[in-house]
Amino acid sequence: MSFFLESFVAACRLAWSLDPELLRIVQVSLTTSCLATALASLVGIPAGFAIAHSRMPGKRIVVTLLNTLLALPTVVIGLFVYVFISRRGIFGPLDLLYTQQAMIIGQFILIAPLVTALTIAAVSRVDARYRKTARTLGAGDWQTALVVLREGRFGIGAAVISAFGRVISEIGISMMLGGNIKGFTRTMTTAMALEYDKGSFTLAVALGLVLMAISLGVNILFNLIQGRSGR
Amino acid sequence: MTLYSLRAIVQRYNGRVVLDIDRLDLEAGRIHALLGPNGAGKTTLLDILAFLETPASGTMTFCGELVEPSPQRLLQLRRQVVLVDQHPIMFSATVSSNIEFGLKIRKVDPTVRRRKVDEALETVGLSRYKSAAAHELSGGETQRLALARALALSPMVLLCDEPTASVDAENQAIIVGLLQQINSEQGTTIVFTTHDRLQAAALAQHTLVLESGRLAEVAYENSFACTFRRDNQEHNAQLYCILHGAVDLALPALTSGRPLGPSGRLHINPEKITLYRPDAPPESGLDIVGTVVLAMAEGDKIRVVVNIGVLLAALMDRASYQQCAPQIGATVRVRFAGDAITLLDVA
Repeated sequence: MSFFLESFVAACRLAWSLDPELLRIVQVSLTTSCLATALASLVGIPAGFAIAHSRMPGKRIVVTLLNTLLALPTVVIGLFVYVFISRRGIFGPLDLLYTQQAMIIGQFILIAPLVTALTIAAVSRVDARYRKTARTLGAGDWQTALVVLREGRFGIGAAVISAFGRVISEIGISMMLGGNIKGFTRTMTTAMALEYDKGSFTLAVALGLVLMAISLGVNILFNLIQGRSGR
Repeated sequence: MTLYSLRAIVQRYNGRVVLDIDRLDLEAGRIHALLGPNGAGKTTLLDILAFLETPASGTMTFCGELVEPSPQRLLQLRRQVVLVDQHPIMFSATVSSNIEFGLKIRKVDPTVRRRKVDEALETVGLSRYKSAAAHELSGGETQRLALARALALSPMVLLCDEPTASVDAENQAIIVGLLQQINSEQGTTIVFTTHDRLQAAALAQHTLVLESGRLAEVAYENSFACTFRRDNQEHNAQLYCILHGAVDLALPALTSGRPLGPSGRLHINPEKITLYRPDAPPESGLDIVGTVVLAMAEGDKIRVVVNIGVLLAALMDRASYQQCAPQIGATVRVRFAGDAITLLDVA
């Protein structure tokens, strides 16, 4: 117990001192996670909106497929992307393996279905009368779509935050596609795993504290948005 | 001028015909009431008149021009017609932003926009809520705000789906007054749906009745759901019907066929109803007694509404009315002419 307390106190000191190595790890984590979330939102929100409003045959199959993809293990995605970007893969010449770009691609694949599925749910919950009202007041198709997006904004915001929470705490993709290279692709989760393997808990606990703080912040934001949405 | 002209309009949902109108013309500048029971197709017809739905078949002209179902053309037409829903929904924004929505879409200058918002709010008496969140208004205020949102756009046609159905008596009176004001001051054509026959008679210059998706040939305002019974099993036994489970009415010999089943709907022609003083000798066993609840002039006739357990409207000529002189609250004897009653579902 005293060992844990000592590690905890040392970790708090490390976090408080803004250790450069720790800051670099946090920066890599935030950069890759934010970019992956932004890309997934750019694709997932319009796709979710289009699927929610489409009357295409097989729509339910698409939604079921998306919901299935939510449970996709990160190591499976890591393996899948590795096949394409390793030296022998078709994108091998691009030298993407063990770069932040590779991590972003993998994380994008992880959370794009999540953003899409949650956007479909959020848009489907928007009262159909908003669409009818916008149209009778003279709105065209795009203006009507904007009204629906506006009314579903809290649900869509929650989808984005949820995706960010998922991606910042994943380890499989970062480890397999990033390679945990110090200063370049080492993220909070991969660094924690490494420190654990080394039996050095101070940095691991410090990173854990930062990760917990970020997760807490994201969840507080998520709850605030859900609260407003539920009004 | 004929504003809308509908010919052979049919609308289907999942293969089921919900609206089948052979011919309908609506004059500009008038108030039209659309009566009918739930599921009769009133809202579907309003959606078609609002260019929100395209009928499955048939032709429609608006202001003499054929309505082409192209998205661009329909958008142009939608900007001349506004539909106010039975339960209007407000965008999650302020009251003034809600009214501004349609004006912004039409790219109206901001100064003009603000003026129109103020005018519309003043018309419906909601100026003090200008900066309030629209979702915080009561049901009646929301209905008035929906009217203001429509009025700000100065539409040629205002379509209202049961505008007073879900508001209190005070707001009902305000909304009815507003509709009359909009029609008389701005010449806006108004089409509204209602279940309230009296409201339709009081407000509208033209009444339409929808029954099972079809326009009824006459204004079936005395149209009631009923169950049938006979004194005995004999074929020529006296047939009775029970209106809305409350009024036991002995039917005269029917010329319109026999009932299809144990229940159905019937119509009593208001012009074939005569009212007598209660002390008048009964002519037959078919008279029933009721209380006068309303009397109002309607053209060269007098409409008298009698409560016989259900509200029954009688349309009397002035001579008959003066002979009986029914006072509000007075008891009267109601007598039906032999051909007054028509069964709507007959074999």
